[in-house]
Amino acid sequence: MKGYLMQLQPFSVNDGDGIRTTIFFAGCPLHCKWCSNPEGFTQQPKIGFYEKLCIGCGECKNVCPQDIGIALNQPENRKNCTSCGACVTVCPKQARKNMVIQKSVEEVIAEVEKHNLFYRQSGGGVTFSGGEATLQKQFLDELSSKLYDLGYSLDIETSGYFNFDEMLPILQRMDLIFMDLKHINSIQHQKFTGVPNEKILENMKRLGETGAEIVIRIPVIEGVNAYEENIFASGEFVKKHLPNARMELLPYHKFGFGKYQALSLDLPQSDFQTPTKQKMEYLKNILIKMDIPLADFT
Amino acid sequence: MSITPRVEKIRQNYINTKPSISYERANIWTQSFQRTEGLPMAIRTAQAFYDTCNELCVNIFEGELIVGASGEFRKCGILTPEFAWKWVDDEMDNFPQRPQDPYEMTEQQREFVRKNIFPYWKGKSVEDAFLARTSEETKKIGVDTGFLDTDSKWRNGIGEISPDYIDQLFPKGFSGIKKEAENYIVQLNETIAEEKDKITFYRSIILVCDGIIRLANRYAEKAVEMAQEEKDTIRKLELLEIAEICEKVPENPPTSFREALQFVWFVQLGGILSENPLALNPGRFDQYMYPYYKADEEAGKIDYDTALELVECLWLKYSEWAWTISANTADFFAGYTNFENLTVGGTTVDGKDGTNTISYMAIQATKETKCHQPTLSCRIHPDCPAEFMEAVTELVSTGCGFPAIHSDRTGYQMLSNLGYAPEDAKDWNNCGCVVPHSRKTFEWTSSCNISFAAALEFALNEGKSRLSGEQVALFEKDPKTFQSYGEVEQAVLRQFSFMVKHGVISLLTAQKIHKEQAPRPFLSACNEYCLKNGKDLVDGGAKYNIGPVFTGVGLSVTANSLAVIKKLVFEDNVATMSDIIDALNSNWEGYETLRAKAQAVPKYGNDDDYVDNIAKELADYFYKDVTSYNDIYGHHFVTAFMGISNYLPTGKVLGATPDGRKAKDPINEGVSPYTGTDTSTCLAALRSSAKLSHDIHSGGTLLNLRLNHDLVATKRGRANLGAMLQSYFALGAFHVQFNTISNEVLKDAQAHPENYKDLLVRVAGYSTQFVNLSKSMQDSIMARNAHESF
Repeated sequence: MKGYLMQLQPFSVNDGDGIRTTIFFAGCPLHCKWCSNPEGFTQQPKIGFYEKLCIGCGECKNVCPQDIGIALNQPENRKNCTSCGACVTVCPKQARKNMVIQKSVEEVIAEVEKHNLFYRQSGGGVTFSGGEATLQKQFLDELSSKLYDLGYSLDIETSGYFNFDEMLPILQRMDLIFMDLKHINSIQHQKFTGVPNEKILENMKRLGETGAEIVIRIPVIEGVNAYEENIFASGEFVKKHLPNARMELLPYHKFGFGKYQALSLDLPQSDFQTPTKQKMEYLKNILIKMDIPLADFT
Repeated sequence: MSITPRVEKIRQNYINTKPSISYERANIWTQSFQRTEGLPMAIRTAQAFYDTCNELCVNIFEGELIVGASGEFRKCGILTPEFAWKWVDDEMDNFPQRPQDPYEMTEQQREFVRKNIFPYWKGKSVEDAFLARTSEETKKIGVDTGFLDTDSKWRNGIGEISPDYIDQLFPKGFSGIKKEAENYIVQLNETIAEEKDKITFYRSIILVCDGIIRLANRYAEKAVEMAQEEKDTIRKLELLEIAEICEKVPENPPTSFREALQFVWFVQLGGILSENPLALNPGRFDQYMYPYYKADEEAGKIDYDTALELVECLWLKYSEWAWTISANTADFFAGYTNFENLTVGGTTVDGKDGTNTISYMAIQATKETKCHQPTLSCRIHPDCPAEFMEAVTELVSTGCGFPAIHSDRTGYQMLSNLGYAPEDAKDWNNCGCVVPHSRKTFEWTSSCNISFAAALEFALNEGKSRLSGEQVALFEKDPKTFQSYGEVEQAVLRQFSFMVKHGVISLLTAQKIHKEQAPRPFLSACNEYCLKNGKDLVDGGAKYNIGPVFTGVGLSVTANSLAVIKKLVFEDNVATMSDIIDALNSNWEGYETLRAKAQAVPKYGNDDDYVDNIAKELADYFYKDVTSYNDIYGHHFVTAFMGISNYLPTGKVLGATPDGRKAKDPINEGVSPYTGTDTSTCLAALRSSAKLSHDIHSGGTLLNLRLNHDLVATKRGRANLGAMLQSYFALGAFHVQFNTISNEVLKDAQAHPENYKDLLVRVAGYSTQFVNLSKSMQDSIMARNAHESF
């Protein structure tokens, strides 16, 4: 069984307890306008081209079965690229990169196991992320079940957009579930993510059934959701339905912009801004006043 | 408690003063030697030590609580012409101006030294003897070359000793040691040759005991004298207390924490005056100091803050003495660092956790004073208390590069592999930068720097230096005609063995000379077994005599380079040997694409077996080859992957290398990845390093890593760092040390040194003030790859 992944990121220290390996699954049912992992919109293999690293040696051109030149990011060339990956193996500067790769359960486990000692010492483990990990249900099921049997601590970061009954056995293997609440208002939610939030909210209500620790995350973005009414209403929802859950407010960042360029995609709207530190404190205080425990993995 | 005004004042003076050279000790020593010609060398040396203690100026500086100075200056370096004078003569005109480790020295001082001191030593120093006895062939590869260097063992005193406070110094005091020597003499028969030698040895011991007691008593007299004139009543009382203490120690066993501290400093000072040593290690400070602290504290005689101030005063004493070294040596040991290695933490001999209040106090003292000395090391065992780990990682997070963090178990294993009894191996302390050591040991721990990358260059250049064109090593066939990877590797190992051979020859010569003309009565007096055996350290008097250590430099550059040849030439056939050699001869100019391909070949430090296995093969060969030779005492030589700052001078003399490195660029230190090539994660770098069998390299192994400061900014981040350390040690590794200061800060410090006088950074195995490093050294520190969280 193979899955479509963006990457395995060892030494992750902000996606759960301890030192972890985060596995980024490709493909996502949402299409958030600020997404920092645009290679994960779909499960299609894609070749990234980081022009800044290119020295113009032309090795990529020599091996390309489609006769595409060096300038992969030109729209014409992109159209013809089949993402075969031949150029990735020859590029001496790693300017070409497989942005989505296929890996078997065994391959993933072999890579994860390398860092076993580091997880055990730190209380860490493996975190499934994305994209949206639940979209590859069968792969996630097999992978999480094997890792569970090996005794790893497992966390998941999810958009919450899935069939709850189908996912429940998988979620029950998790020590910690991070679920996003991108906007409490369904219309706004649809406007920015492409889907309404009812299904997500319904799933959120049932998270208690998993037995896992729950952290509800809000990616805080100026221009989308960084205002008092939204945070307060989100807090009220969580408090009402998940009295034991913690919440975490994460400031939006623009680290993913380089990837948009490498994939010749249009950049996200520029009116999305990182909230200031003061703003973050202000919003956190709203939740603190509501007696909602905050999580902090920095 | 924050730092006291007294300590802050001393600290400000320390960071704002350039060390000055004092010739006083050299002058007294020389005059003494002129008077004692014809006597046994041990007696001459001991007499010179006594005379120094008796005549050297005594200075108690403003605010000091711990007293004793090596010369007239507060920040002071001394001369030891009996080891070498020629480099001083050649270089001292430039002392104040030289880029790395400048010293103040006046024209009058230089004139005096040239007229009154150096002429006597012409032809008599250790250096003179070494150069006279060394063949041209050995000199060509092994004297001031940067390929193979042994000069710290014939241009300087040896040092590399850990005085034994536990079984020798504290329980006996120097009066007790003297008495022991006298008792032995009574039982010996002067008509038996061997016993006659012992009598000479014990007489040298009596002389040095009298000497150090005399020096302390002169400080007592000075303190009384100063007290009489002191107007400030508080300082007056302090001076009287100093006088009282110096009357008692180190003559007698200490009876309080403060006396013990003053005792420790007098021993250090005695060591400095006797040979200006590198790595005179205070050792397991928390273990031997805690009982005094505990007793005083229980008796209500001292509290934590008072003790801390005293410890900080001692830290500044350690730092105010500057090691006087040649410009060449200063490139290897940059930053006035004299490696007074002080160890805290770890298990006790009976296997229990040994951390105590003093372990934490030592860490706090380093954090507050930001002194470059002592070289603070800690031992971490699997059951290390979380609070101690937090104290250690918190110090790491300040960016000062301290402490050097060591695996308790691997250190034990390293000594066990050398044949130590378990109880001694378990009590190991650090020596110098990263050498597991013992207070019962005589060893040359940093004897020979040997460059793997030089062997590679000779293999790929017919035995010639690529930069000078000179034939310095074994002749080798035209590298363009190598037919297989195995052939290339064999050539590298052959050249390496040739270098090892000349390193061994050099060290055998140096050992013999030290045995003949550089006995060490003072440091022998600090060693329990020298007294028991009636033999000086240089005659093998210690309980453990360990062979000299070879330090391998440039392991990762060489492994990376061999991987490039293996993959590009003999596996992928994308380049020929001719292409590679031509590229190296052109310093990669005009070969940008080939260079890019070379850089893309797997690099050591990324947990990739393709290249890590080559590094391991090289390291194992190094071990096998070096340990096949025996020293003059019959003990096999030992290997290490230490650091010091040797990766700069060893790089400066090399042409381009196949890994893509350009000519004259630095190589790498210890088992660290090559700068900027450990691009995966910190964990991968640790895993690569751990693949080398650390425990067989009993001379110590060293890993430097840079961490992004954000990673250790929070308590949680530091807990993860602690877990990372424990994992690394569980994999069998020995040492790791971190720089956590961002390049932005370092760049600003380079541009505005006046704002960063106390900024400590990690060099290799030790830390020193960033502003005291030459520009090239600063640049190389900035070039190390910083590991982000992802």
